[in-house]
Amino acid sequence: MLDEEIYRKLFVEESRENHETIVNSLLALEHGEDAAAIDEIFRSAHTLKGMSASMGFDDMERLCHSMEDVFQLVRNGQRTVTPALTDLLLRCTDVIEVMLDEIEGGGDPSSETAEILIKSLKAFSDKGTDEAAFDALPDGGGADAEPAMIPVAMEDPDADASPVYTLRITLDPACGMKDVRALVILQNLEELGSIRATTPSRDLIEDGMFGESFSLRIASDAGEEALKTVASGADVTAVEVSLYEQEAAAADADPRPDLEFEDIQAPQKPGKSEKAREIKNIRVDIHRLDQMMNLVEDLVINRGRLEQIARKHGIKEFDEALSMVGRSVSDLQNLMMGIRMIPLERIFNRLPRVVRDVANYDGKEVEFIVDGGDTELDRSMMDGLNDPLLHIIRNAVNHGIEPPDVREANGKPRKGLLKLVARRDKDNVIIEIEDDGSGIDPEKLRHSAVEKGLMTAEAARTAQKEELIGLLFQPGFSTAEKITDISGRGVGLDVVKRAIESLKGTIRVDSTLGKGTTFELVLPPTMAIVDVMMVHINDRRCAIPVSNVVEVATGRQDAIHHIGSTETILLRDSLLPMHRLEDMFGASSKGSDTLVVLQNDGKKCCIVVDSVEGQQEVVVKPLSRLVGSCRGISGVTIPGDGDVVPVLDVNTMV
Amino acid sequence: MGRILIVDDTMFMRTLLKNILFSGGHDIVGEAGDGAEAIAKYQELKPDLVTMDVVMPKVNGIEALKAIKGADPSARVIMCTAVGQEQMVKLAIKSGAKGYIVKPFQAPKVLEEVKSVLST
Repeated sequence: MLDEEIYRKLFVEESRENHETIVNSLLALEHGEDAAAIDEIFRSAHTLKGMSASMGFDDMERLCHSMEDVFQLVRNGQRTVTPALTDLLLRCTDVIEVMLDEIEGGGDPSSETAEILIKSLKAFSDKGTDEAAFDALPDGGGADAEPAMIPVAMEDPDADASPVYTLRITLDPACGMKDVRALVILQNLEELGSIRATTPSRDLIEDGMFGESFSLRIASDAGEEALKTVASGADVTAVEVSLYEQEAAAADADPRPDLEFEDIQAPQKPGKSEKAREIKNIRVDIHRLDQMMNLVEDLVINRGRLEQIARKHGIKEFDEALSMVGRSVSDLQNLMMGIRMIPLERIFNRLPRVVRDVANYDGKEVEFIVDGGDTELDRSMMDGLNDPLLHIIRNAVNHGIEPPDVREANGKPRKGLLKLVARRDKDNVIIEIEDDGSGIDPEKLRHSAVEKGLMTAEAARTAQKEELIGLLFQPGFSTAEKITDISGRGVGLDVVKRAIESLKGTIRVDSTLGKGTTFELVLPPTMAIVDVMMVHINDRRCAIPVSNVVEVATGRQDAIHHIGSTETILLRDSLLPMHRLEDMFGASSKGSDTLVVLQNDGKKCCIVVDSVEGQQEVVVKPLSRLVGSCRGISGVTIPGDGDVVPVLDVNTMV
Repeated sequence: MGRILIVDDTMFMRTLLKNILFSGGHDIVGEAGDGAEAIAKYQELKPDLVTMDVVMPKVNGIEALKAIKGADPSARVIMCTAVGQEQMVKLAIKSGAKGYIVKPFQAPKVLEEVKSVLST
């Protein structure tokens, strides 16, 4: 039972890799002949077939087998890859994916669609094949009347004086690949002597064109026993040996062939085998890694707590020991983060297929370039990144890139270019999605903004491009004139923005009308442990991610101005919006003049705090689902003393 | 009982085969994920027998077999194959492979073939 589970896991994991290879290679093939891609598909289909057969997933095995057959023909140059074939094969991969999902859930997949696809693949394989089926060929061992021995070509006329034996070898009817088995036996026998003749002919034997048995004549000094031993083995049910030339019978000496020595010469070397069994890599269930990460987080929290106790009591020895523990915890934490990092490829690999499907559906031509797939990100962020990325990519093809005719008319190449580039930049991972499509029209945005009541006509007229583009992220705001089947229905960029923000990332759009649009996602490589500044507001503590803090300043009363309903403050010659966060923490009675200047995405603001406590590394936990999302708060943290402290979401403030 | 090197590009198949061979009392001295690795491991470990997958990335099973046989003519190599691979396997046998096993593997058959090849 346990073994079964382990196999299933390995099976699903490796099958998914192969499945992905097939999909991506198929897409590569669409861009032109690519021998490497054909080989890859063939190899992956073959591997999938072998694995599914071993697990007893018959439908999947047969489907993969049919795919393999088709690609064998393609590989031999007997068929070419047509768009229709690519579609068919992609449909096959879809079915395989569904099957894998089912298998992962513990089921045994069977699919009627698979049956249809297998038939279609077969039809494709057979179409135009005029090679006769082999079934009609003669069956060598059928009749009792022994057919004449067929001499083997190139037989040495001056045959040596070795005795000649006749062997009749019968194979197990259940033998897999009896042609290969026969070949193995012939090859092995040839090491003991020279084969003079066979029934049926050697070519037919090697093609498996015999019944259950075949016969041969061999000249050998090895002796009857040795011949029998060599001819027996797996799949062989009977070997009859008889001396063919009576006059050679006397030569039956030294029946032990030198093969015997090989066994003696292969001594066991235990030392070496132990070394070879050293395991370099192991696979670990992701849930265990998550558990481990939780423990590390607890450790970080408790280290903070110990530090506070140490400060309170000021015991020198304790401090020293604690700083050692602290260092180990930091190392452990870094190591753990490293282990959890996985390359973005994991989600990038699915995207070429998406681009293809959307482009085909829309009748667009798109060249999709992916770069930087080896950039690493924490596993926990991968899941959250998948959907937003998918949405942006679909959008780019759907709304960004123009139909080929329109592009041509505008003096652009018919094929649109879509680039997905990831890179690591200091503390962040940056993902850019760039298209060379029509770009976003600010006029349309202005019009839409007024129509939807998001801006007054006056404000819309004077609004800067950045401000207008920012509207795209407002709920319910979409410039697309019609909703298509493919780009999400009713799901707008506001959802994308929220998803990215929940990953502590930011999203920015830049667009030039007629030239294209670029989305830039900036993400922290991991989000679990954050350096924060602890502040007090109205006697409550609050944590601000240090990456968002510009400075702590003192604001003079006379520098505060009211613009409309918002307070602003003139600080170092720039006017910053000033928030008191009274709605979150209640009005403070202290009348503090301490300001913390925050920035996010190049924009700044400041908040009024009573006092600044210090800086510390904390584990940020997301808000419980019961609480739901709470604007202004990105999560909570528990610093050493066990207090629960909200972490400010600076994104929503600037 | 022999010291065996398993060559296959999937961990799934390697594990399967490893368990079968282990149950037959054999010693798995190493595993390789492609042909190139197989050639290197063979030199290093000098196993009694190699189970060699045919279709693998980079260096395939046939090329690896040829390289191994070229360096050590007494090498015992069993090809791991599946229906549809007959021509490739024949090529392998002609290149010096001593036997073959067919996927999906059946433990008794695998062990029988291994035993018979080891006894040569």
